[in-house]
Amino acid sequence: MVKYTIKRVLMAVLTVFIVACITFFLMNAAPGNPWLAEKTPPQSVIDALNEKYGLDKPLPEQFAKYMNNLIHGDFGVSIKTQKNRPVMDIIVEKFPLSAQLGIMAVAWAVVVGVPLGCLAAYKRGKLIDSILRVVCTLGVSLPGFVVASVLLVVFCGGIESLNFFPGTFSPANGIRGYILPCFCLGLYPMCYIARLTRSSMLDAINQEYVKTARAKGLKTGKIIFKHALRNALIPVITYLGPLTAFTLCGGFVVEKVFGIPGLGKFFVQSVQALDYPLIMGTVIFLATFIVFMNLMVDLLYKVVDPRINLAKGGN
Amino acid sequence: MADKKVKHSPIGSLQPKIDDILEWNNLDFTPATKEEKEDFIQQRKSVSYWRDAWRRLRKNTVAMVAMCVLIVIVLFGFLGPVLVPYGYEEFNKGAENLHPWHYTLEDQARVNAVIEERTGSAALDPEEAVAQAIAEAEAKGETLSAVQQAKIRANAKAAAEKAATEGSEGLSTKEEDVRAELGVKAKLGGYSNNELQRIANGEKVFPHLFGTDKFGRDIMVRVMIGTRVSMIVGVCAALLVLVIGALYGSISGYAGGMVDTVMQRIVEVIYSIPEVLVILLLAAMLSPVIQEYSSSGGLLSGLTTVLGANLISMFIAFGILYWVGMSRIIRGQVLQIKQQEYVTAARALGASSGRIIRRHLLPNCIGQIVVTTCLQIPSAIFLESFLSFLGVGVNAPMTSLGSMASEALQGLYSYPYRLLFPAIILSVMILSFNLFGDGLRDALDPRLKK
Repeated sequence: MVKYTIKRVLMAVLTVFIVACITFFLMNAAPGNPWLAEKTPPQSVIDALNEKYGLDKPLPEQFAKYMNNLIHGDFGVSIKTQKNRPVMDIIVEKFPLSAQLGIMAVAWAVVVGVPLGCLAAYKRGKLIDSILRVVCTLGVSLPGFVVASVLLVVFCGGIESLNFFPGTFSPANGIRGYILPCFCLGLYPMCYIARLTRSSMLDAINQEYVKTARAKGLKTGKIIFKHALRNALIPVITYLGPLTAFTLCGGFVVEKVFGIPGLGKFFVQSVQALDYPLIMGTVIFLATFIVFMNLMVDLLYKVVDPRINLAKGGN
Repeated sequence: MADKKVKHSPIGSLQPKIDDILEWNNLDFTPATKEEKEDFIQQRKSVSYWRDAWRRLRKNTVAMVAMCVLIVIVLFGFLGPVLVPYGYEEFNKGAENLHPWHYTLEDQARVNAVIEERTGSAALDPEEAVAQAIAEAEAKGETLSAVQQAKIRANAKAAAEKAATEGSEGLSTKEEDVRAELGVKAKLGGYSNNELQRIANGEKVFPHLFGTDKFGRDIMVRVMIGTRVSMIVGVCAALLVLVIGALYGSISGYAGGMVDTVMQRIVEVIYSIPEVLVILLLAAMLSPVIQEYSSSGGLLSGLTTVLGANLISMFIAFGILYWVGMSRIIRGQVLQIKQQEYVTAARALGASSGRIIRRHLLPNCIGQIVVTTCLQIPSAIFLESFLSFLGVGVNAPMTSLGSMASEALQGLYSYPYRLLFPAIILSVMILSFNLFGDGLRDALDPRLKK
């Protein structure tokens, strides 16, 4: 277990490093520079700016310097979008909102998705199973921005009697402002989890121990939730890792539609403005977060199901 | 010796007994009838893997409906732009911001006449009212103070405003209300007044069925082009993933040992990279590079101009990151299949590794490959629309369903259908691919069906 954990942590660090490398060389390969604006400043100004932010040095040197700073906890300062503000500052300010949204979305996806999956498996082949299948297939087929924009039109504009929710997000609106974005963000994972739970639950229901439990005379609810669900949940837990990545990146779209000032909106802006330190900082931060979540899920996997032999990397 | 053998096999030997053979001759042999012969042939007819799968697929109503919908969407995207006489970049002057419906010229004239009638008799212009009041006051030998003048002006203004909204007899002068009153119904298809005039003159004008955007570009053609782009991206990305994944997975699985270990480490690292993040970066950063390359006139610049820089950068992004899933699936299959006797036989006969992979391993996991490829298409379309929506995917002058939806956000409340049309097509397309892929999986590998 210890050996496996160390190996996985090393892998995670390597992954983040590779992502950092890709990002660094990619953004420098992109033509143009951060100083391009409607009025391009004279060359002398550009040179001075480049010197100030160390962009005049050769790329490997820049990279080494950036990495060195990063290890010491220095993410650099934004050079364009929010001039001279430390990148860490910006992330600390913007990320909590995105994280809040993400956590709420994941929570509702799991809380609703798992019972729905159980229900579909339990009522296999019945009408309710078919309905749930249609709904879930639809849910995984609708792109997030479609759901978000349609909800926006229905509940925040077009039909006046349905105007329950504020169209644009602001902290003043309290919990009501979160409902629509969370719904949009959680819809896809919810449907995915329901499908996943259904198929793994079907596997579990057909196992011998379920028959034994039934023979003992246990109630159906107890069999399903106490015996079968524990085994059926393992695939769902493994999905939680990718789910984190999905909610963080899917959040970009929801943030754009609802005008939420989260990290995603900021990231897209910084990519388009070629704000080098901000891109690097955000990517490394998000990548670390996602990789860390994957790592946690993999380790949790072992705790949930002691039968799994991780050292062999069993499939 | 022969007797001994017969004795040793009490359950029954393959060698018939002499007595039995003699008895056979006593049986009545009659020639088989024609039906019997045909029946025999039909029973023997071997059903090929694909025919069998097709038979199962055809029974699956949902998958068949999805397939038909896909065919219709393909026709819409590829044949549509040829049939509609507008270009996706064409600015139709005078036809800006059209709705997908229109009112005939006569109806418009009737509505305008009513509105004019109602507003025409409305209260006087404020300045005129003041002048009138001054004249009246002078006739009485009085003079109006500035305050009184201002009061009259304000009253007249309010009356005029009231008239403009309600009409002189308290009737509405809003266009919608008058239309409802007169029973004027909207007709399908958007036409500008200019185009209506041309129709009145006997010309044939193609309607803007989905309306036009603020530059007067026909939305239907743009949706068609967007559908085409999405289809191309989906299919090409899936094929790219297929080629890379199949090669990598089969080599890794077949070679085994050290090669496999190293290759799988690489896969693990790529697998744990947050792909959407990197693809977002790749798509945003690569497209200007390719743009520059295509204008520099290099070896492949012709190709890059045809496809567009954005599409190519997206393919590259897919090609770099998305093959991992496919390669894992194929590796798993190959690991199973390579234990089979026929692979050993082929190796014993001296077949090269390449030949074994090509002729024996890959064809035997074709079902899995087809299904995975088919399910890869919607996820590629999904991602493309995601990127375009964020403004880093396909962009001007090309269009795509995602970028159209993104553009529509600005006028969402006045023109909701600008979002609705691309969104519906996109959702239906992804849904159909998903349903068809599921059906295909059930048909190609019935064991997986749950």
